[in-house]
Amino acid sequence: MEPVYLFSLVSRQNSWLSVRQSTISENIANVDTPGYASKDVEPFKDILDKTSIRMAATQSGHISEDGSNSRRVRVNSSEAWEVSVSDNSVSLEQELIKSGEVARQHSLNTQLVGSFYGLMKSSLGR
Amino acid sequence: MIDPLVVSLKISSSGLRVQSQRMRIVSENLANVQSTGDTPGANPYQRKTITFKSEVDRALGANLVEVKNIGTDKGDYRIEFDPSHPAADENGNVKYPNVNTLLELADMREASRSYEAGLQMMVKSREMITRTIDLLRSR
Repeated sequence: MEPVYLFSLVSRQNSWLSVRQSTISENIANVDTPGYASKDVEPFKDILDKTSIRMAATQSGHISEDGSNSRRVRVNSSEAWEVSVSDNSVSLEQELIKSGEVARQHSLNTQLVGSFYGLMKSSLGR
Repeated sequence: MIDPLVVSLKISSSGLRVQSQRMRIVSENLANVQSTGDTPGANPYQRKTITFKSEVDRALGANLVEVKNIGTDKGDYRIEFDPSHPAADENGNVKYPNVNTLLELADMREASRSYEAGLQMMVKSREMITRTIDLLRSR
């Protein structure tokens, strides 16, 4: 059923967005920590590309590769806008822009899911 | 695994905590800008400094921020000539604290800017949680 695929895609992107949000929070909390390098998560596209073949998980302890519970964070020192004297590469402006992107995408996703719920409901005749 | 959005709230709150500690140190320095000793030649208030460090929290799997150390500034005291002061030495010089008001105000501004950014992240994360919960609401 098509919409089910859509729901799983949206939920995966939403969990990726929340991981990204917590990474941004980490950067902002450490904005005055000497020697801290700004981080970002792997782009969603890369995670999607890598997870076309899934490993079977029959128990809760098995490794799963659906991007939701793998927290792949990388350091992106090259993309940093500025590096301060204390070797800190967090720029508040850059982080807030990223957080704006996350919020926008998340609100788009939830509204999309909401309207699909509506569609499914109306097809049930309620 | 804890929900990353909840983790985000916890990380932000650790940031807010250290920034308010920093604010506390700044106000302590500013309040004591004229605190001299009361015996001849006594040392005045010494400016306090605060440093941060990033600490991995294994339960959350994230880098929280903590206060590393609250130290004292070893810089020179401000010397003023005032023989009538109780803390004046035999030459009539009084040691005043090594607090620079402008420096403290700049520090205060930076702390409040970082605090605001952390607060903004908290608001955003909370909005994301609320929006997700709102999906349950009947339309």
